[in-house]
Amino acid sequence: MSDMLRLIENEVQLAALAFLGLVYIVRLIWIFRFASRKERTFAAGSQGAGIRRSLANIAMPWAMESTRKDPWLYAQFVVFHLGVAAAIAATFIIPYAPHVFEIRAVVLLFQAVIGAAFLAGVLRLVRRLVNPVLRLISSADDYVSLVLMILFFAAGFLAVPNDIDRAEWPLIAFFGLTAFFLVYVPFSKISHYLYYPFTRFYLGRTLGHRGAIPQGTRPMSPGKDNERTSRPKGDPR
Amino acid sequence: MKSRRSGSSGVVRSPLETGSQSQAKRDALPSVAGGRLQTYDPAGDNVRRFLELLAGRLTRPLTVSLTACVHCGLCAESCHYFLARPDDPTMTPVWKADQIRKVFKRHIDWTGRILPWWVKAGSVHDDEDLNRLKNIVFGSCSACRRCTYNCPMGVDTGLLVRFTRGLLTELGVVPEGVFNVSRDQWETGNQMAVSEQDYLETLEWMRDEVRAELGDDKVDIPIDRPDCDILYTINPREIKFDPRPIAQAAKIFHVAGESWTLPRWGWDQTNFGLFSGDDRLGAWVARNVYEAAERLRAKRIVISECGHGYRSTRWEGYTWAGFDQRVPTESVVVTLKRHLDQGRISVDPSRNAEGVTFHDSCNIARSGDLVEEPRDVLRRVCSDFREMTPNRRENYCCTGGGGLLSMAEYRPLRLEVAKIKAEQLRATGAKYVCTMCHNCIDGLNDVIKHYKLPMKVVQVLELVSKALVLPEKGGRG
Repeated sequence: MSDMLRLIENEVQLAALAFLGLVYIVRLIWIFRFASRKERTFAAGSQGAGIRRSLANIAMPWAMESTRKDPWLYAQFVVFHLGVAAAIAATFIIPYAPHVFEIRAVVLLFQAVIGAAFLAGVLRLVRRLVNPVLRLISSADDYVSLVLMILFFAAGFLAVPNDIDRAEWPLIAFFGLTAFFLVYVPFSKISHYLYYPFTRFYLGRTLGHRGAIPQGTRPMSPGKDNERTSRPKGDPR
Repeated sequence: MKSRRSGSSGVVRSPLETGSQSQAKRDALPSVAGGRLQTYDPAGDNVRRFLELLAGRLTRPLTVSLTACVHCGLCAESCHYFLARPDDPTMTPVWKADQIRKVFKRHIDWTGRILPWWVKAGSVHDDEDLNRLKNIVFGSCSACRRCTYNCPMGVDTGLLVRFTRGLLTELGVVPEGVFNVSRDQWETGNQMAVSEQDYLETLEWMRDEVRAELGDDKVDIPIDRPDCDILYTINPREIKFDPRPIAQAAKIFHVAGESWTLPRWGWDQTNFGLFSGDDRLGAWVARNVYEAAERLRAKRIVISECGHGYRSTRWEGYTWAGFDQRVPTESVVVTLKRHLDQGRISVDPSRNAEGVTFHDSCNIARSGDLVEEPRDVLRRVCSDFREMTPNRRENYCCTGGGGLLSMAEYRPLRLEVAKIKAEQLRATGAKYVCTMCHNCIDGLNDVIKHYKLPMKVVQVLELVSKALVLPEKGGRG
């Protein structure tokens, strides 16, 4: 292994990861500076159930009309994000548990997942370029983030065999891209995974409290006076 | 008022009309003079004020909804505006939300402040930009929240639209209809400027009608009676245009032996603050109702059939007013269901024999909790109840939501995109479409008239009243 590859697999990655963590801490502090309103009404449902249901929404394509009507798009989403998970896992496996990729079946599995994600990424890019709605709303960040992900998948596909005797450049490319990502991601749309728990939490909390979600689990109002069983905190009665 | 649409964009280019605002200033109306109702100042630094309000009013749920959008476009086909104008990307929820999101990115968020072009951040530069924003958030969105339910990220575009409306309302950059209704609600305590005399006389008239119908002089529509089980609050439309729902409620309450009253003040459960985004108006109107219940020591607040009134009084109003809920607050449909459950009223569904379908109000189904309750009542009082598709929380807006009925300049676009609703209604083959929302009544009537549908709009109270089996003389009541 060359010094360059060793450096980029280790110190550079750790420095970039620390940078990402630091920026995210600042970002979270920034988000928490904004106030969240207190709920003052009697509950008709359950905030906890609403939050859980809202957070699980991403794994429930039947729950939204938009994903129900277009399962193909949902399948692309799943494949794409499985590829992301596999590629990120590879960035840790290669330097810290290289023996894992000595198993041929594991390498093939990772290549299959990352390769499929590469194809899903290309399809997503085509959709973004062809669909007039997406063309109108897309920013440079939307395009560049997607292109970078496609390149990341391509590099990951070539890197997971971890065969430095044959060639180091796929690994250098993969870890170079990874380091760049770690620095770029906090400022790009790719950080949406940081916001997902927040948007889903607040939407689930509000709609769960009102009994709007989860759908079909709330008993109907009359008959028993369920409003009286749940008072806001601080209600002296 | 002349309005036109720009090129392929459906966004209406309507100028800012300020005639009513100028008149209100000349008349020195207390709401204007007292600074509660804001008017447009052409000489003011409105852009700076807009940006200050934007920065000052952000909450955490708003901020994360502004940052989390990944521009996937999945919300597009949940919106009846886009479904009706599929070649027009400016009709999509994401594009509409992006018009405020880009300002947020340019002035509040990180990357957009440094590299605005990279994330399509942008600003508002003059009052014309603010007016353009007004036409988007008031004119091409009914804030129905259908897109919110269809966003994989959980971005609440309905919330963003209301937030933006609130910023513009603070500057007087609003459609004239929004200003007029807000003015009336601030000035009179009800959004249709019903005088106390009209209110009381109409209630007496309806009381007499029910007495005549039942042949029972004990029937009453009490005003300000203390210690009742129910404080009944209504929509001013029931006084001004169609008082029959008051008589229907009075008849049913009488037969059910209900202890109830209307308040002399604080009877308007509607709340234009929901539509204008003005939390102060929302707080004041809602507090009027809550304080009426406290003053009269009512055990429960009951809201007549009204979608936005229900959402405002049951859910949002307590937050706006900073008022912890102390008594149960429910829709009259829930009250009717309780009467049926407890056997306090009997009904004969054969009296409503023709096909009835149900239209879920956005504010009740998507922003509230009532979906099955009205269906349960309708199945008991109608012999041919049929669902429309989609239904419940996936139902399409009546197209008159979000206060759009008060904004004449957007009516052509509203009726154009109503073809989605018209197709949905037509497919049911029902003779009646029932809704528990006064706004939806007018919205649906517009759709039915415009698309020549062989249907009539009814409310739950009307169907229950028609099916009501009156007890023998000497029985209850």
